[in-house]
Amino acid sequence: MRHTPAGIAVIEFLLSHQSMQVEAGSKRRVACEMPCVALGPLAQLMAGSKPGDGVKVSGFLAARSLKVRSPILHINEIEFLEGTENGFQTEEERD
Amino acid sequence: MGMIRVALDVPLPRLFDYLADDVSIEDIGCRARVPFGTGEKIGVIVAIPAQSEQSADKLKPVTAILRDMLPLPAEWIALCEFCARYYQHPLGAVMSFALPPLLRRGKLPRRKALAPINANPPAVPLLLPEQATAVAAIGAGEGFETYLLHGVTGSGKTEVYLRAIEAQLARGRQALMLVPEIALTPQLEGRVAARFPGARIVSAHSGVADAARARAFLDALEGRADIVLGTRLAVFMPLPRLGLIVVDEEHDASFKQQDGLRYSARDVAVFRAKQMNVPIVLGSATPSLESFHHARSGRYRLLSLNQRAVAEAMPTVRTVDTRREKLQDGLSAALLEALGLRLARGEQSLVFLNRRGFAPVLACAACGWISRCCRCAANRVVHLADKRLRCHHCGLEAGIPHACPDCGNLDIQPFGRGTQRLEAALQERFPQARVLRIDRDSASTPTKWQALLQQIHAGEVDILIGTQMLAKGHDFPRLTLVGAVGADAALFAADFRAPERLFAQLMQVGGRSGRADLAGEVLIQTEYPDHPLYLALTDHDYLRFAIAQLAEREQAGFPPFAFQALLRAEAPHVEVALAFLQNAAAAAAPLLGDAVMLYDPVPMRMYRMNNLERAQLLVESSSRPALQQFLGRWSERLGGLKTPRTSRWHLDVDPIEL
Repeated sequence: MRHTPAGIAVIEFLLSHQSMQVEAGSKRRVACEMPCVALGPLAQLMAGSKPGDGVKVSGFLAARSLKVRSPILHINEIEFLEGTENGFQTEEERD
Repeated sequence: MGMIRVALDVPLPRLFDYLADDVSIEDIGCRARVPFGTGEKIGVIVAIPAQSEQSADKLKPVTAILRDMLPLPAEWIALCEFCARYYQHPLGAVMSFALPPLLRRGKLPRRKALAPINANPPAVPLLLPEQATAVAAIGAGEGFETYLLHGVTGSGKTEVYLRAIEAQLARGRQALMLVPEIALTPQLEGRVAARFPGARIVSAHSGVADAARARAFLDALEGRADIVLGTRLAVFMPLPRLGLIVVDEEHDASFKQQDGLRYSARDVAVFRAKQMNVPIVLGSATPSLESFHHARSGRYRLLSLNQRAVAEAMPTVRTVDTRREKLQDGLSAALLEALGLRLARGEQSLVFLNRRGFAPVLACAACGWISRCCRCAANRVVHLADKRLRCHHCGLEAGIPHACPDCGNLDIQPFGRGTQRLEAALQERFPQARVLRIDRDSASTPTKWQALLQQIHAGEVDILIGTQMLAKGHDFPRLTLVGAVGADAALFAADFRAPERLFAQLMQVGGRSGRADLAGEVLIQTEYPDHPLYLALTDHDYLRFAIAQLAEREQAGFPPFAFQALLRAEAPHVEVALAFLQNAAAAAAPLLGDAVMLYDPVPMRMYRMNNLERAQLLVESSSRPALQQFLGRWSERLGGLKTPRTSRWHLDVDPIEL
């Protein structure tokens, strides 16, 4: 975790995701990793977690910088999940 | 009815005549209170003319002639006249600057009883052969002669000065010693006072209180002071028994004043030595190329000290190639290791970074916003210690914004590295070390600076981080490592004097290491380890560097092979400044002749400062007299040019920054 010169906490992390999705009418398994960043109180919250913890997040996408245009997920809400298998929430459970 | 001619501090290149009863030639050099406009002014009587150029019915009577102190001597008036002529500044303004503020206002300080002199003769160190040769050469000189004392750091230049002063004191003469910085005077004053317990020593610098400064001036004028020590303004102290002038660190840029009367105290000191027919010693480890050029051409006498007086050997100087290395917080593995070694041995280290603040700019990576100054063509610097964004040019400051002012991004980041950031990084990397940062922020007052120095001398510091403040004159006996970080930028600066300054700076800062009985080491981090400047530095070879630089300057036709003057103009809009310079150039055209060359008006490199836009016009000549003659006639015409009320201009003769 680092701080901006104004003293706001910033933490960057990588979120790993796995789910079943439907594509052109057929089910498939998908996985991806998403770079994320959390600021302020959410950064403090994230600092207390450890790799492997399950989370449900929401936020918005923004370019990493003016030069690197690939997105990074800015976290606005975070919910720590317990009891889900391997920390993943699957589509089946939601149905 | 008699008449007096008075130099008044007004921005006009002329003198003013007043009627006066019972004046005599003895009154020249006295101050006079005269009516001027609706008020009164104080000036110095420079002549008792028989006739006035002003019509007789317009002459007003003088209010009072102040005969309460010795008149200023004729040579002091001549010195001011020289400065007025050479630097194209009104005589009254020069005199007003040269007088202490209290005397300028027509007052006198309360006299104090002179401190009793204690006369315990001190132990005098033995001279090395080279020192003895230099002392003998200076001592043997009769009349005016300029000696360039080139001595490597730690070679005992000061001892040579002291011996030369001693010889003059023995003959009943006064000595004037100029040093570049106020910060250096207390240390030097202590040393000089200890050496000459029977001599009266006075200080003259801008840090001295008004009354004390006026007293010092009177002590010098009335011949009571034996030694005058001071910064550049001390060159104007009247010294009726003057026998010797010493200019220490003669290459230092602070001898050149950058506003008002833009004089070079070193050059004025040389004029003064010639005027008074006394020897002058210019000392430096890295003489200015101007002085070195004179020494090579035989105008100055070169005296060299190549051996260190105290330490056994010069420090080893190495470059650290940072091209292929991933630096950690801007520091190379070699430097970190060397720092660790000094820590383990209980010795001091210094990391030199000539940039104060935490980071030179705050930027938003999302939208490209940077912390520009709204008044200057510069960025505001991040000062994390007091959480401010500060412009180092105009002083504008504000709190550090919470979010990017343009796009709202919270994650704005400092870019680059200043002393505060280095301090934080080193403290984190060496948590057991006592880290101390020395820059204009941490040593903002002389008192704070003295306290910091004491901490260093008491051995309460392991790692020093410092700007050029630390490079000058201070001896730290326990310091054995100097690391220079971020020096490369100066290699490619647009100013042709940048390499000269960088070399002098690194040589000086390197000279801080290994001064006592401990061997010193200097590590310079660079991406250009094969640059001739660094190669000369690692060989301690000033001569090679200076000769190569002079060859480059000669090829390019730069000073000291040409003489320059700069007309600068500033206005709210650069077009106005440029238009004034165009008019000035047109006025110059008929005066130019073959020897003087005029460049085109251009915006200055730092084209905007404190809401004013600035432009400059360079004049150059291979002949100093030709340039001087031209400037005299040109500045008369400049005075007659129409300038918008919002714009200002000034002439800078022998500018040191273009």
